Amino acid sequence: MAKFNFTDDIFFGTISEISTALRTKEFSTVELTHAFCDRLEKLGPRYNALALSLRDTALKKAKEVDREFKLDRVRSPLQGIPYGAKDLLAVKGKATTWGAKPYAAQVFDEDAQVIELLDKAGAILIGKLSMVELAGGGGYRFPSASLTGPCLNPWDRTRWSGGSSSGPGSATAAGLVTFSIGSETSGSILSPSAYCGITGLRPTYGLVSRRGAMALSWTLDKIGPMCRSAEDCALVLSVIAGVDYEDPGSAGKSFHYAPQYARKPDEITIGYAPIDFDESAEPSTRAGFQEALKVVKSLGMNTKEVEIPDFPYGPLVSTIIGAEAASIFEDLIRSGKVDELADHRQAQGLKTGLDISATDYLRAMRVCALVQQAFKDLFLNVDFLLAPTKLTIASKITDALDGGAAPATPPKSRGLSGLIPAGNLAGLPAISLPCGFTAGLPIAISVVGRPFYENHLIAIGKAFQSHTDWHRRRPPVTQ
Amino acid sequence: MLAIAAAAQQPGAAQTVTPANADLESARDLLRTNLQQIAKVKLPMATEPACHFKA
Repeated sequence: MAKFNFTDDIFFGTISEISTALRTKEFSTVELTHAFCDRLEKLGPRYNALALSLRDTALKKAKEVDREFKLDRVRSPLQGIPYGAKDLLAVKGKATTWGAKPYAAQVFDEDAQVIELLDKAGAILIGKLSMVELAGGGGYRFPSASLTGPCLNPWDRTRWSGGSSSGPGSATAAGLVTFSIGSETSGSILSPSAYCGITGLRPTYGLVSRRGAMALSWTLDKIGPMCRSAEDCALVLSVIAGVDYEDPGSAGKSFHYAPQYARKPDEITIGYAPIDFDESAEPSTRAGFQEALKVVKSLGMNTKEVEIPDFPYGPLVSTIIGAEAASIFEDLIRSGKVDELADHRQAQGLKTGLDISATDYLRAMRVCALVQQAFKDLFLNVDFLLAPTKLTIASKITDALDGGAAPATPPKSRGLSGLIPAGNLAGLPAISLPCGFTAGLPIAISVVGRPFYENHLIAIGKAFQSHTDWHRRRPPVTQ
Repeated sequence: MLAIAAAAQQPGAAQTVTPANADLESARDLLRTNLQQIAKVKLPMATEPACHFKA
């Protein structure tokens, strides 16, 4: 067989496209894995996106998959597809650093549940991808808060990729992996997906097992796919979702991608707030967001103006994560090793978490119950919520992340401001969809749904992406 | 942690604020502000904590 010439069409291909090429034997899994490993090892460090290459184990797995293809043994659409995992997921026998110096030599003797499920499905893990140290617990001040340095945005390397699933965002956008696995406690899948121009799905709390993943907040952590399209998110979620009796947070539910059962657009009411697409957004992004809103409206769904229930979402998330993270990392904090973290502000934030009293924490959790009820009530009037994922483009890597000034005059309406922390507190699923560019950097909208409405979110995402091509744009990656 | 807290409270500490102490103070200020915001929410006595999300 002549050596296949791997081009950007492969590196930026969707799961279905690459799967078809593998099954029609355009190239072998081993060849594909070699090509992706070469690219990840060469370009990953340029973006500070690579934590650890797994070339050897990937090639071993690729040989197994090729043997299966020869025998027509079909495991899943992910069979033979190269992917990367955020470095908070345990991979047996390999360093799992959680992006933090104090854990640089940490090795586990079992795979995380999602890694195991993807392995059974035939997916090829080619690398661990970088992340904000300890997934940002304590509150980091600079994008450099990572063992691997600030993760750079493939669309503009002077800009940040977003966090804390920074490597998954950057590597997927740069075509270094076909998809990746990230995690979200409050925004860590949606934000890097938006900044890097990829499609990210935050599943309902408990739908995907967290066993073998670093815990930051037992009540908020979620693991999800970061991909090239809504449909790719569905294919990955089909594999990683499911019951896990060893994860106390497991919801006991599974996910089966069933686009045929998606509701017709005219049966759907989507709630949005005009202010989010106008004065709340950074001026340069408004035209892009308004165009995206027009596309959503053109899909034939009913729309209704709504406002987010009035709760202090940021303070709630910060208090709950602060208390739980301080408990999880108590030994690190009390031993003083927390001061080895790259971000000084983050280390102090983790220490301060020990000052949160039991009554403070329980009050936050009781208010969280009110938030969940308020969203149940909101979803009596609308089926989904729509808002810009982030109101700005990616910040410069040297910019402090807490430097934003409060608006001179308070906005006329809350709009859906705070939907990221709110959606996390309520355990709701969300999908982030690229919807344009501003100054060469991606912007994105998010659709949020009721618990376990992932199929519907994906259907809306797929419909949006059938009318737009933002998700197929490629950054100016040079070999 | 306790030692750091005690040092930060010593008289005169404010005049010689190091970046280290400034970050710690800023983290504490944020915590105080957050707790004040949460305290403003009217909370019915019967409300139980949302320890696990249930659909």
